[in-house]
This record gives sequence, structure tokens and C-alpha cells, in this order.
Amino acid sequence: MTDGETATPGSDPTETRGTTVGDLPGRRRLAVLAAGTVFWTWLLARWAYHNSLLDGLFTALGFPDLIRSERGVRQREGWIPAEPFGAAADAVGTVAAALGPAGVLVDWLRWVLDLAAFATTTAPALASGAFVTVYLTVLSMLFGLVIAVPLAVARVYGGRALRAVSLAYTELIRGTPLLAQLFFLYFGLPLASIAEDVGFTGQPPIPRAAAAVAIVGFTINSSAYQSEYIRSALQSVDPGQLTAARAVGLSKFQGIRYVVLPQGLRFAIPGWTNEFVYLIKYSSLAAFITVPDLFRQARNIGSETFQFTNIYVVVALFYLALVLTTAIAMGRLEDRVAIPGVGQSGPRE
Amino acid sequence: MTLLELEGVRKSYEDEDVLRGVSFAMDRQDVEVIVGPSGSGKSTLLRCVNRLTEIDDGAIYLDGEEIHGIDENDLRRRVGMVFQDFNLFAHRTARGNVTLGLTAVLGLSKPEAVERADDYLDRVGLADQADSYPAELSGGQKQRVGIARALAMDPELILFDEPTSALDPELIGEVLGVMRDLAEGGTTMLCVTHEMGFARSAASTLTFLDDGRVVERGPPEQLFENPREDRTRSFLGQLTDLER
Repeated sequence: MTDGETATPGSDPTETRGTTVGDLPGRRRLAVLAAGTVFWTWLLARWAYHNSLLDGLFTALGFPDLIRSERGVRQREGWIPAEPFGAAADAVGTVAAALGPAGVLVDWLRWVLDLAAFATTTAPALASGAFVTVYLTVLSMLFGLVIAVPLAVARVYGGRALRAVSLAYTELIRGTPLLAQLFFLYFGLPLASIAEDVGFTGQPPIPRAAAAVAIVGFTINSSAYQSEYIRSALQSVDPGQLTAARAVGLSKFQGIRYVVLPQGLRFAIPGWTNEFVYLIKYSSLAAFITVPDLFRQARNIGSETFQFTNIYVVVALFYLALVLTTAIAMGRLEDRVAIPGVGQSGPRE
Repeated sequence: MTLLELEGVRKSYEDEDVLRGVSFAMDRQDVEVIVGPSGSGKSTLLRCVNRLTEIDDGAIYLDGEEIHGIDENDLRRRVGMVFQDFNLFAHRTARGNVTLGLTAVLGLSKPEAVERADDYLDRVGLADQADSYPAELSGGQKQRVGIARALAMDPELILFDEPTSALDPELIGEVLGVMRDLAEGGTTMLCVTHEMGFARSAASTLTFLDDGRVVERGPPEQLFENPREDRTRSFLGQLTDLER
């Protein structure tokens, strides 16, 4: 997102439509972008701080242990002091108490300030959880897409056998709970221990075994949903397009590749965005197979501090920020790849 | 020299007989125009020639070779087609529409394909629209791109499936103009059309198809002035009346 802000060529000031956040007019759009920039600058800095990125840098510079041993500590180390918020909250609390029953409204302000103080102390841990959530989601979406496209093509253009296989896969996956699928992969099939035996996990770019299992699970699950979105998009491509491709002498495969898919995938972007947004939130199920994602971090903090309301409010804001970012970025993508007459965001003329 | 020959071609969908034994032959550089009421099987007949539709019985020969013995992609490279609804590739520019077949089927390099595409777009008068997408073109322009797309593959025969039926009246002329140029230039054309003016002036042979059968076939003057069959007379009479 941070580089996206500069790429807003000639936005029309008279534009008033607002179908997605990215389409908001003038000042409100600026506010959203400013908030997004602050959030992502902070988040990316945190990721650099307590992920292996800086480790690598320091190792290269000849100080291998400077960071590594302290990572656990650094993941909890806040950059924004909590004390001012706490002090302000106390002050407001005193005022509220002095006002007696009328102080209830003022007391709300105290709660907000308390929440801010709490957020500053918990945000570092949540940032590291957000990193796991983002890479689980992004990788699963991309791997899922690689599986979903052939699945969808098989459903629409395949012979009877291919159609049946694709349909069976899709319905089996969509028809069973995602949590059950994850448990099956993690506890049922000992996929995690296999991954560890192979010695294939644990190195910095390759996630811990549980995270690898989660990515496999989400990829399988998401591919089924994505293939449904892509299937309906392919079916909305005029059949005359493939006929014309065949009439020029292209094989069916070439026709699908060069004519149907470039159009169908553009039509699929809104549905695909929907699936992306779902997966950001569904990825919280990874917490139940021990993956330290955003939700698991929140749950841990909750059980340490017993401030369940506060932590779930803060973590909800994190999810909201991720989802809004995705919606805006995908809206941009849709506009960028739009071709006159083939797919565009916003209201039709 | 005979380029295309149809022999007792039959085709039925479910229990509806669309073609009931159609036979005729056309030579290289002929312009064959097929007319007939809707539902008479004209479009099906065209689609059988490039095997977008498979025939049930009979035989079709292209340059002496039965078309079912030819690889279907190869056949379609040799037999171009222009559609009623244009069917331009919506995500590609006018130039991109022409180059796709050149690169993917003929294996031309991209610069070669672009050069050839621009040449053919120029021939149909659209050199300045090469970068426009179909949605940005008028119906007449779209159809001319469709013709350039078929023509650029250097086919032995081009099928025209009611190329002007989806056009506004004022746009028909530009498409017929291009088709006349092709006819005069010696392109072999098999056209289904209701444009009687074109049939009269450009066709070397006119075929009247009704109910899946060739009712009458001959030089256009003969069918217009002196038809043997009453059905031909009443059908062509209706169409020419419309044009007055």
C-alpha cells in the first residue's frame, strides 16, 4: 500500500461515487490513505524489527548473535509508551468519579484511553501475529489460484471425467468444515511430523511445521472456493469468443489460454477479492493447530492479562485494517487491468 | 478448378433435419452467395465447412481432400470465417485480434505478426484504429476488423455468416465495400447474406436454400430475372422489394 499512494493519477475531484473505500472522494479518501500509510509503515517496521530480515543483515555485517537471542524480548518491546495514555486515563477517571452518576459518559473516555494504553503494550506481539496471518493468507491464495484455474477450466470445458473429478473435489472441500480439514491434516495425517522429519521446515523462509500444514490446508480449501468464483466468471465469457478463436485455427487449449482466461480472470477479480477477505479472517483457525497467527497472539494475551474485551477489540481493528487494505488494493488491481468493455470496478454506465 | 465441393451433406439436431442432402461445388476465386429464409440451414452449412459443426452424413472436399481427413485446426487456418456478431476478442486491440492467429497458429514472430496485421488493417481502412479495443469501435469497424482477422491468415476460402445483419443500416455500406474489394481481388468467398445488391453485383453464383435443400442455383441474373422455381421468385421478390 505504501507505494500505492503515489500512483493515483488525476483523480477526478467531482467524482462522488463510492463503491469501495478506494473510490471515496477527496478528503475522506485522503484520511483513509493517511491512516493506511501510518499503519503499514509501523507494521512493516515492526516486521523488519522482529523477523529474520534484520538478523540476516546483522549476520552479514558480522554480528550474528546481536539480534537473534533477543527476538523473544523484542517481539514484546513497544515503541510507543503506554504511560501517557495510562496517566490520562487515570486523570479522566478521577474527574469521572468526582462527577458522580453524571460521570458515566466521561468514564467512556477513560475506557478509550485505557484501551489505547493497552494497545500500545500489546501491538508488538499482534504485529508479529499479523505477519503470520498475512503470509498464510497470501501464500494460500496464490497456491490456491494455481489449483483453482485448472479446476474451473475442467468444470467448464472438460470432458465428463474431468468435470466429475473437479466437481467432486470442489463439493468435498466446500462441504466439510475448514477446522475439520485442518485437524485432519495436522492431527489425523501427521503431516507436521513428516515435514519435520524431512527437515524441511524451521529455516527462516520456510515456516514452522504447523504453519506449513496450515498453508496446505488453506490452499486446498481456498482452491475449491476460488474455482467456483472463476468458474462462474468463465461462464460469463461470451461463448462466441471461443468459437472465434477456434475458427481462426487455435486449438481449444490455446483458445482457453489466450482468449477465455484473460477475460474470465478479469471478471473473477471481485469474487476473488471476496475469497481473499474471507481467508484473512478464516486463517484465524490456524491458531487451533498452534500457529502463532494474529488470533493466537490475541488469545494468549487475553489469557495472560484477562483483558479479553480489550484484546479482542484491538485484534478486530488489526483484521479490519488488513481487510480494508486488501479491498483497496484489489480495487486498484481491477482498475489497472481493466480493458474497455472487459471488467471494471465501480458502477456500470 | 474446384476448391470446395459438398456432396449430400446432412445434419440434424435432435429430431430436426437442418440440412437434407446439400450438394454443390465452387471454384477458386468464386463468390458464392447463399440466400434463404431463416431456419433454412444457411449458417449451419457454413459451420459444417470449417467443422465448427460436424455433419451427420455426406462429404465435404476442400481442394480435393475430404475435410474430415484434415486436422481441424489446420482446416480452419485454411478456411477463414467472419461472424454475424463479429466475435472480436474483447480483451485485445484491433491489431491484437489480427495478430493472435498469426503468432499462435502460423507461428509468426511478434514483429512479423504486427507488420502483417497493420497491413491488413490498412486494407480494410482501419490503420488508424489499430490500437482501439472492440468496445471502442463502431459495428462497421468491428466487422472490418473481423474481416482483416480472417484475411490475414491467408486462407484459401473465407466464410461470411450474415456479416451485415447485426449492423445499423448506415454502417452496412463500409463492410460491403470491403467485401466487394475482396471479391474483385480474387478472394474465394462463401457468403450467407440478405444483401441482394451485393448478391446481384458481386456473386458469381447464387444459391437459394430452403428447408435444408438447395432449391435453385445459378448465376444471380438468372435467379433474379428468370427463376425456375416459384419459391425462388417469391423469396427473392420479397427481399428485393424490401430494398426499394
